[in-house]
Amino acid sequence: MISRRRVLIFWLVALALAAMLWKSAAIGQAQSSTPVRASPAVIGELSLQATAAPATSTSPSATPLPVNMSIGNDTCLKCHSQPGLSMKTQDGQQFGLYIPADHYNASIHGSKGIACVQCHTTVGNYPHPPFQAADARDATLKLNQVCQRCHSYQFEKAMDSVHAQALKDGNRQAAVCTDCHTAHEVKQITYPGTRQLLPEARVWSAQICARCHNSIYETYAHSVHGSALLGEGNPDVPTCIDCHGVHNIANPETANFRASSPLTCAKCHADPQLMDKYKISTQVFDTYVSDFHGATVTLFEKQSPDAQTNKATCYDCHGSHDISRTDDPHTGLKIQANILSRCQQCHPDANTNFPTAWLSHYIPTWQTSPLIMSVQWFYRLLIPTVLGGMAILVALDASVLIRRRLKKRRHSEPGLQPEAEPADAPGSAPEETAEAVEPAAPAEPATLEEPAAPLASEPLPPPEAALPAGDQPAEDETSPGADQPAPEDTLPGADGQDETNSPFDQ
Amino acid sequence: MTNQPTPTSDSIKIERNFVRFTLGQRWEHVVLLLSFLVLLLTGLPQKYFTQWGYRILTTPESVLLVRQIHHIAAIVLILEVLYHLVLGILLLVRRKLSAEIFPTWQDVRDAWQMVKYLLFLTRKKPAYGKYNFEQKFTYWFLFIAIGIMVVTGLILWFPIVWTRFFPGGTVPAAHLTHSNEAIVATIFVIIWHFYHVHLERLNLSIFTGKLNERDMQKYHALEYQRLTGEKVNDNEQSRGEGGKQ
Repeated sequence: MISRRRVLIFWLVALALAAMLWKSAAIGQAQSSTPVRASPAVIGELSLQATAAPATSTSPSATPLPVNMSIGNDTCLKCHSQPGLSMKTQDGQQFGLYIPADHYNASIHGSKGIACVQCHTTVGNYPHPPFQAADARDATLKLNQVCQRCHSYQFEKAMDSVHAQALKDGNRQAAVCTDCHTAHEVKQITYPGTRQLLPEARVWSAQICARCHNSIYETYAHSVHGSALLGEGNPDVPTCIDCHGVHNIANPETANFRASSPLTCAKCHADPQLMDKYKISTQVFDTYVSDFHGATVTLFEKQSPDAQTNKATCYDCHGSHDISRTDDPHTGLKIQANILSRCQQCHPDANTNFPTAWLSHYIPTWQTSPLIMSVQWFYRLLIPTVLGGMAILVALDASVLIRRRLKKRRHSEPGLQPEAEPADAPGSAPEETAEAVEPAAPAEPATLEEPAAPLASEPLPPPEAALPAGDQPAEDETSPGADQPAPEDTLPGADGQDETNSPFDQ
Repeated sequence: MTNQPTPTSDSIKIERNFVRFTLGQRWEHVVLLLSFLVLLLTGLPQKYFTQWGYRILTTPESVLLVRQIHHIAAIVLILEVLYHLVLGILLLVRRKLSAEIFPTWQDVRDAWQMVKYLLFLTRKKPAYGKYNFEQKFTYWFLFIAIGIMVVTGLILWFPIVWTRFFPGGTVPAAHLTHSNEAIVATIFVIIWHFYHVHLERLNLSIFTGKLNERDMQKYHALEYQRLTGEKVNDNEQSRGEGGKQ
């Protein structure tokens, strides 16, 4: 039996191993075969294509390179390096066509040898067909489409952004790729290996957004985050894109953005590594979630992120672009009046007592909130002691009850022994007669009569009646000693029943 | 209510019933039970919203609905509490309600004897009056628990009104108390109340209003004795310390 199971396990393991080996071998084959197949296409082409190839291969849907790849930048620059070269757009405006060669060569594209014609795909050899555009913006919007040839991932993300939506809705000024990245002076903004933002790129980000959103930039620049970034170049603080996203910049006025905003803040403020540097508590998120506002907002965020909530999120109290230190002497929330005014935005009737209902992200301690700590400890002690004690009592009671009932069943099973009744009676009528003999109807009236009869006539009751008055303490003491020499397991039945049964059995 | 006319015939079994609760008291219990249950069912998902409550509180509408139901049930419970208090005090003052529900030292002695009995230190169970110590404990434990729940619940419901008179720190304390006391009351009802009325014996007297003779003799010997003038001839109970009185 065991050996057969062992054999089965062995074969199962062997099968699994074989399957894994076969799978990994197949992957290895596929990997090794791709470069071999790709190489003939690369060989013999212009050197610039070799550098362009990695760029295309990174994008998921690499479009085929244009046919007129052989046209070098020199060809273009023969004309376009002349300052003042321009054309007229259809609305009669001048449209500059001068490209300073050194600017382009300094850009990430230029430095990687990307040729003009890789983006300007519609031009052929000189003289190329004239470029048509209704106006300068039209030219930008037309040419902007070309970015997706290599950067389709980012391009598609940008299509989901609030900017793309605005463009679709007819705002032609809404930002497209080149508005932020420029057309010919595209900068390297991430570390090549890690794709982390360069520290200086964080500053650029804010400055680029400021081109359109200048008033927000001004506010941000004075905030605790903005002043650290723009003043000290501190890379730890968030720049625009850290909260708003890159490319797929969401509309910040949606319910979704609002409900998930605490998570946005928590990205940094719940990160102990980052917060320890600045001695900022990482409990801010947890304490928020465990309080009224946070509880509701979290519920919405989890279940229906598109539902509008009027419960306060982080930025309702701390501000969004104008976030300041809580201990700021003018705007800090540690100043009673400042936090009260925030409360009153939603609770207009709140008075000066009200803000302290919020524990300011503190985990309660005996120093900060003794009342809460005493409540906490009260229940910490009450639950195990009182409820635990009650549970023990109930458990004891139940065990006695169960044992008594089991015993009773054992006694009543051998036979209902009607002749036992009279023998029981003088010993003092046990409760057993009322319960266990229930099926035997004749016994019932007999027991009912019993109490009255002895009371009236027989001499037996007087000592019994006297017992509670005088003998009580004595009897109480003697009963455990005298009547219970027997070990405990016989005792549960001792509640009157044992007393009557044992003499009878003997 | 004496057993003189008890027929000696073996075939007839007479069962006498004793009134334990008035119709009003029985209805009070039903209202209490239902409001307690609704408050529990709508309160617990709010307490455990991160663990499992979010599965129930799926939309803002459902959150609002659950809170509204909670508030309505709370109003019902508060009205019931007020009715109970006002009526109870009025009847007590007019001497139309016995004060047997109030705890006495006898209850402490009974409880102690019961503990001794359960630990096999004595063979005698205490004999009880109209309410035994367990029933009184249930009443007063829930009396205090409901009092705490009502007060803290109202603080949470009207924090702005409350903080007009009291410091703000009482609000989170009330939150914590409300949350904890709910659990305490629930555990209490399950392990203590349910055990005594469902498992120890099925005691439906709060619904039917009456208790039969056998249960009266067994569980409320002193009350039985007081009502009938008959001594409960049961060695287990009648010799108990409670036999004094």
